[in-house]
Amino acid sequence: MAMALRESGLQSLGLGGVLEVFARGQLPATASDLVTEVFGPQKARGSLVISGANGMVGAGKAMQLGARLLPFGVRVVGLDFPGAPDGIGGQYPGLVSTFGKTRAAQIMANIVRLTYDGRTLPPELGDLKPAFLLEAIPEILDVKKAHYKIFRDAFPGVEIRSVTSGFPASELGVGIAHPAFPHQINKVWEIVEPKPSPITQLLWALGLVPVPVGDHWSFVLDVLFCGLTHAAILYHRACNMPYWKIDKWVRKLIGPNPFRAHDVIGAQGANFLTWSCLHHLAEHYGELFRPTPELEARKDSGSDWYPPNHFRPVVDWKLETRELEDLETWILGPLFQMTSLLLHERRAELPFINAVGELCAQFRKGVLALVRDVGADQARERVAAYHRVHPAAGERAWHPEAFETIEQPAGQQLYVNAEHNGEVGTIAIGRESYNGDVDVELNRAVDWLKKAGVERVIVTGDFHLATQMVGADTSEFYPALERTEEGIRVSETWSRTARRLATDFKTSVAFVNGKRCLGGFLELLMHCHHLVSVEDADLGMPEVTLPVVPGLEGCHWPFRKTSADAWPKLLRLLLTGRSVKARDGVPWLVDFAGPMDAALQMAWRLATGEESGVRRRSLVESPLEGVADAPGELPAADSPATEAARRAILESIRASCAAPLGDALSIQARHSAGFMVSEPCLKGVIGSDYAKTMKI
Amino acid sequence: MPAAQSMFPNARIPYGTWGSSFFPAWQTSALAEVNIAQFAGEAMNRILGKRRVSTDRLDYLIIGSTVPWHWKFWNAPLVSSCVGRRLPGFHVEEACATGLLATLAAGAEVQMGAAEVVGVLTFDRTSDSPVGVFPERRAYQRTVPLADVWDNFGFDPATSGAMIATAGKAARKYKVDRREVDEVALLRHEQYFAARESGALDNVLVPLDILTVQGRPLGRIDDDLGVRRITAGELAAMRELDTCVTGGTQTHASDGMATLLVTTPEKAKEISARPEVDIQFVAKSEVRSAPSLMPEAPVIAVRRLLDRTGLSMDDIAVAHSHNPFAVNDVIAARVLEFDWRDMNKTGCSLVWGHPQGPTLTRTLIEALEEAVALGGGYVLIFGCAAGDVGTSALFKVS
Repeated sequence: MAMALRESGLQSLGLGGVLEVFARGQLPATASDLVTEVFGPQKARGSLVISGANGMVGAGKAMQLGARLLPFGVRVVGLDFPGAPDGIGGQYPGLVSTFGKTRAAQIMANIVRLTYDGRTLPPELGDLKPAFLLEAIPEILDVKKAHYKIFRDAFPGVEIRSVTSGFPASELGVGIAHPAFPHQINKVWEIVEPKPSPITQLLWALGLVPVPVGDHWSFVLDVLFCGLTHAAILYHRACNMPYWKIDKWVRKLIGPNPFRAHDVIGAQGANFLTWSCLHHLAEHYGELFRPTPELEARKDSGSDWYPPNHFRPVVDWKLETRELEDLETWILGPLFQMTSLLLHERRAELPFINAVGELCAQFRKGVLALVRDVGADQARERVAAYHRVHPAAGERAWHPEAFETIEQPAGQQLYVNAEHNGEVGTIAIGRESYNGDVDVELNRAVDWLKKAGVERVIVTGDFHLATQMVGADTSEFYPALERTEEGIRVSETWSRTARRLATDFKTSVAFVNGKRCLGGFLELLMHCHHLVSVEDADLGMPEVTLPVVPGLEGCHWPFRKTSADAWPKLLRLLLTGRSVKARDGVPWLVDFAGPMDAALQMAWRLATGEESGVRRRSLVESPLEGVADAPGELPAADSPATEAARRAILESIRASCAAPLGDALSIQARHSAGFMVSEPCLKGVIGSDYAKTMKI
Repeated sequence: MPAAQSMFPNARIPYGTWGSSFFPAWQTSALAEVNIAQFAGEAMNRILGKRRVSTDRLDYLIIGSTVPWHWKFWNAPLVSSCVGRRLPGFHVEEACATGLLATLAAGAEVQMGAAEVVGVLTFDRTSDSPVGVFPERRAYQRTVPLADVWDNFGFDPATSGAMIATAGKAARKYKVDRREVDEVALLRHEQYFAARESGALDNVLVPLDILTVQGRPLGRIDDDLGVRRITAGELAAMRELDTCVTGGTQTHASDGMATLLVTTPEKAKEISARPEVDIQFVAKSEVRSAPSLMPEAPVIAVRRLLDRTGLSMDDIAVAHSHNPFAVNDVIAARVLEFDWRDMNKTGCSLVWGHPQGPTLTRTLIEALEEAVALGGGYVLIFGCAAGDVGTSALFKVS
């Protein structure tokens, strides 16, 4: 009987737990099986029909799904009105840059474009055997319903999903698969259906991220994004701050640029969708969402929110302390109130509510992590302050008690879950970049497993929200750019957590299941006794390109686990920033790399102690000599900053490797933190992001 | 306070909903780099934000400026877009009297019921003024270029004289003593610095941060650059450019903006942070003096104003003038028989410079603040304008 800290993402899709994946030695479902289930057997494959295919959503999804379904012989039918502008054709340059000309041409050739008049389906459609209709037509309820009827009359067995951003499934009479912008590349789909369907599981098997949400007017993403836009407009009404500057303050505060996002998506359509969403929400939840005249006007005019280029702003808006307090009240107050509504209505599992903001709406931290940071009482006080300036918002849709649910395990383990069967445990990380929250939750997961007496563990991505591991969340370094002590604190804290993977378990196995594992995440996973990866994953240490000096013991830990003849490879990894394929990292970086099933089985054998043929590499705790003496011929650095970073990394490697293991942690932390306040770092990627985001 | 009938009984200036940029001398600040109309619109938005007045309340905008600016054709509607609202409105211009004219025009709009909340926004950039190229078939040159600020200062086509010459001529007519003029200039500087130090101008002047086109800081406008403390000795040592006119006893060109609102009595109570303060329009008078005697024109206007309202200078609580020449104040005091020490107590354009369009707007705002601090009373505003024009207006603060 497996135990879990909380329900896993996979379970919410009807795909079992993470521990089961390893125990079975294979993924819970395959794309080919699910394609057969949804579209029929290969010889009688049905097609995917996307109606409104030339629209922004339709065309984007035609590309995303078309590219993924091509290998399975599923035709994509793009259906639209005769006069619709060619949205699909406009996608071709993007396809070419992603896949190259040949593949792009194949994907386009697999799309059958048909037109219809809105009443009668084209006769050729029958030959294409529509199995799944993805409806992406305008947000008009009656039109959508009529559209479904036409399809159901013509093709009684067809599965239908709407991409609607606002209407509940109960109103539409079909399930919902609401995708997040940008539609070509964002993998998240909010799903409304009574239970996980093969379509949803297929999306997962195709590498996408379906997230089950409740059936309400608008879904988690649109409540948060449209609601935040509304809050920002109300703030504008209160203080006159121009929209472009509100964007900068909101980005500094929590991450998103709500107005820029509208302009980038296309103000004409985005303004209407935001208005439509808020209009329906206001009908049900009152003034928290009531569209303002400013939005009404822009819905009608389709005007951008930012000034035109020839009117780039002249007057800046610095804020005094009182004004900053006002800003936080107008922005965080409604955001927390909306969060209480999402929790009260249990619109999704807590990690999903949290993740949607991060993955789809640019939140640096999800809303639940934000509330968790400030605490429930402070969040309630912030909402109360908001109601003092906007009393009507407090009349409905305010559920202060709902914040208590964050105390539940699902609210405390938003990013990291753990499971065990009494012998072997898994720690599944559901965030693609490592931050302080992940660090704290990872420690709690380790504590929970140890308390249960589990001595064998597999550390892995969660097979759901985290489709890759890109390294440290660099926004966590912002304070370290100004204070060396902060850089030391982060580096030492995270390194100590990483060391627990080496010291707190009899056996720890790191498993790389996604497309890449880079930087801080690779450093973290190196601390496990074994590192197993799918063979075509990219593994790398891109810190030098940012530039920063690795701070999670990447400058000495891997050297202590390999023989001297492999050190030049590690040096190249660290000093060039270039990744290697996992299969090429065996055995100096990776203990085993293979196809997914083989890798899963190897990880399980290593964790359970079964015969695997892979030996545990020892860790040299005494000082190493000569590590950095021969980095070999390196490609020329592309900038003086990279050159400076190479020198700093090399120095960090020399110093930390020359020390005993017990001292190396703090030595590397000092090197990492010291470089963080240097000019190359301050003028590099992180420093520039910091200046752009925080120094406004 | 003796009663005088209000010229616009349905119009009020809501207390505290105003503000002015500092007026840096020409070519000394980031304001020399910007489209001044855009700056003014965005600055008005910022100032109203600081005053907690949503621009959503405005339904009309009257702008005033004298120096042409890029896209001037698009007038007040364009500037209102820079304020962040799509308002109708128009532009007024009366040289140095523009600020007062714009305020009175707003009063008229409200009085006639055409608008409820009118924004008054005045601005000018004298730095790098545009050069007009005029096809003049009857001129020998056939085509005449004219630098808007300096060429106009130097030549009044109606009299063929320069602006500065009117001050010298008026000084000679009134037999003004250079020493008295220097004393006026010295006191005006002292009054200005005392007001700055006491915080009396904190509710008037708003620091503003200017951005480059890339969105990076270009400069902060937080001082009347070009104004310096001056001594009696320094003033006495200055070379006379015309009778009683030196570099120290005349104003200087500057850049800036100033804004206020005009609305109904009811709305004024809603908008103002101090609804108990009532500011009414009482009367206006405008005259033209004999040729090239511009500094005496304001005082003629004031005398007419007082005659018409039945008030005397004893009834005036606060008097502020636009005085490009210290000679103006000496003549005013002599003709109106009052002490020039009792006017312009927080400073004046002689000291903080003259961006033209917003000059009298800032003068009015400073005067109203002073009157409110005193507990109310009549506020007299007057000044001269190009063409030997004298303008004056009376407001009542209660």
